[in-house]
Formats: sequence, structure tokens, C-alpha cells
Amino acid sequence: MNALTSPEVGKYIGEHFVSSFQKVATFRIVNGAKQGGNVAAYFCAPDGRVLHVIAGPVDAATLLGEAKWVVDSVRKAIEESKRTDRNFKAIFRTWHAERLRREHGFVVKPVTFDSPSDPDGPLTFRDPTGRPLVPVLPPPPIDGPDVSLDGAGPVDVARLQRAEATAAGARKLVDRRGRRWVLGNKGRVHQLLAAHGMVKIEKIYGTIFQNILGERVSTAPVVTINGPESTRTAVCLHCESKRAVALIERGRR
Amino acid sequence: MTRIGTLVLGMLLSTSFLPGGEVDLATPRSCTTCGQETYGTAVQWAGSPAEAARRARAEEKLVFVLHVSGHFEDPAFT
Repeated sequence: MNALTSPEVGKYIGEHFVSSFQKVATFRIVNGAKQGGNVAAYFCAPDGRVLHVIAGPVDAATLLGEAKWVVDSVRKAIEESKRTDRNFKAIFRTWHAERLRREHGFVVKPVTFDSPSDPDGPLTFRDPTGRPLVPVLPPPPIDGPDVSLDGAGPVDVARLQRAEATAAGARKLVDRRGRRWVLGNKGRVHQLLAAHGMVKIEKIYGTIFQNILGERVSTAPVVTINGPESTRTAVCLHCESKRAVALIERGRR
Repeated sequence: MTRIGTLVLGMLLSTSFLPGGEVDLATPRSCTTCGQETYGTAVQWAGSPAEAARRARAEEKLVFVLHVSGHFEDPAFT
């Protein structure tokens, strides 16, 4: 939220984007304290195809920098696709792979085509009743660190890994050869978008929220546990399950 | 009148200038005249992603969508 209060961010976003928000997940209030909850910012084409994502809260400078990268990249990609007859989607995925290499030191092969997916297949996030919600989009495998002469090189990879270890959302991952590395949210987004950039937002948001941010996608905005009696009843009216309300009512009696 | 001229005139008329040149500081930080809320941010939010997409097409802009946990409208719950 703080980054969005910056007048500079507001001006730039207002000039180049039309903004909207959606509630897609729940945070818990346990004994009056917030637990969990997160945010993801999507930069999309007007038809809902995702150009870039910021997973998790960032400062104003980062938000502004990423917004500018999107706007500049769209302009360049339009020119390049006209000039070289290359697919806009393929260009954008390649640039995400390039940013992963340059900023995080990992090589990934961009996926420049989409294979058909089964909406009811096993790779689907489901709600507690088993109803399919959104597909799981697997990230492309990491080939390994960039050891090319013009790339990061082994020394820089070590430095980048130290930086990644303290990055937001830093988690372990295994490359194609079974080597273990650490990558934060920012790098994971580039890895994912190198294969799924320009996918519609309704298809990718589950993977961003669940696989990258570690949050569970839900339609209930807030769930209160051990809160004051009045709050508990009020919030649980928003719960997906009427059983929860019934249990609280039973507990009162 | 050009579109920009109309916009500027609209902004001048709609911002919180009171008769007598006083600025209404008590007015909440939201765009009450154009139907877009700011919810305490420096960004104006369209009513829904679908509306944002429609407007983005018309204005030749991109779309910025925020996915949040909890109640975005209430800073205490976001």
C-alpha cells in the first residue's frame, strides 16, 4: 500500500494504465492480529494478458521502475514485432528470461508457444470441495547459472546467490542437473513469465498467489479466529462454508 | 473544445475548491466527481477489472490490476 501513496507512482500509473483491484485471498485475524495476507500487482494488456507481475509488497521506486520497464518494453516489442515479424508474446517471454539471466544469474529457455491445457486435469488448484479453480502453470526448468563470458560468471553467481538468499520470498530450487540454488519472488516471476508471459490473468493468478507468494486463493476476504464474539459472527457470514457459522452458533448455545 | 481542454476544465471544476478560494481539506482523498476512488492511495481505481479493461482499450492504455488479501477499501484490513 505504501508504494501506491507515492505521488510519482500515482502520476505515472495514471498516465499509462487504468487501474483496478480484486480480492483473491484471505488473511486470518487471530486474537486481533493479522496473519498472512499478500499482494500481487499485474501489468496487463487491455485484453487481460499479463505482461509483468510484482509478487509481494515493494517500495515506490521498485514499483515505478517495473511500471516504466513494462511501458518501454511494450513500445519496443511492438516495434520489434513489426520489424522482425517475431511474435509479441515470444519477444516478451524472451525478455523475461533475459532479465532472469542478467539480474539473477540463471539461464532458462523461454517457451515461445503454448501447449493446450486440460482445465479439469491434475494440474489445477481446487477449492476444498474439489471444484477446479485455476490451472497450475509450471515454471520452466532452470538450466543453471549463467557462466557465459558475457554473462554473470561463477564469481558473480556466488554474489547474486548471497543477494537472493535475503530477497523477499527466497526459496530453494533445483536446476536441471539437480544443483540447489536460492531464488526470491522477483526471480521466480521472471522464470514463470519466461514460459507463461502474455497468458490471461485469470489463468496465471493462482500460480502467482499460491506457488510464488505461498498464499491460498480464496473468495473469503477475512477469516477471524478467536476474535471478539461480534466480529467472529460478522466475519463468518462472509465465509464460504455455512458450516462454520453453524459451528459458532452451536458453540454459543 | 479538445479532449484535454475538457479534462482540464472538468478537473478545475471538480476539485475541492470552495467559493471564496478556500480549499476544502476535509474532503476525503477520493475522486468523487469522476466515479473513481483512491482509497488512500495516489492511484485512481476503476470499479472493476472489466471496467478498467474497457477504459484501457478506449484510452489506449495498459491495465494495472492489484490482487490483494482482505479488504482493500479499508487500510486496516489490507
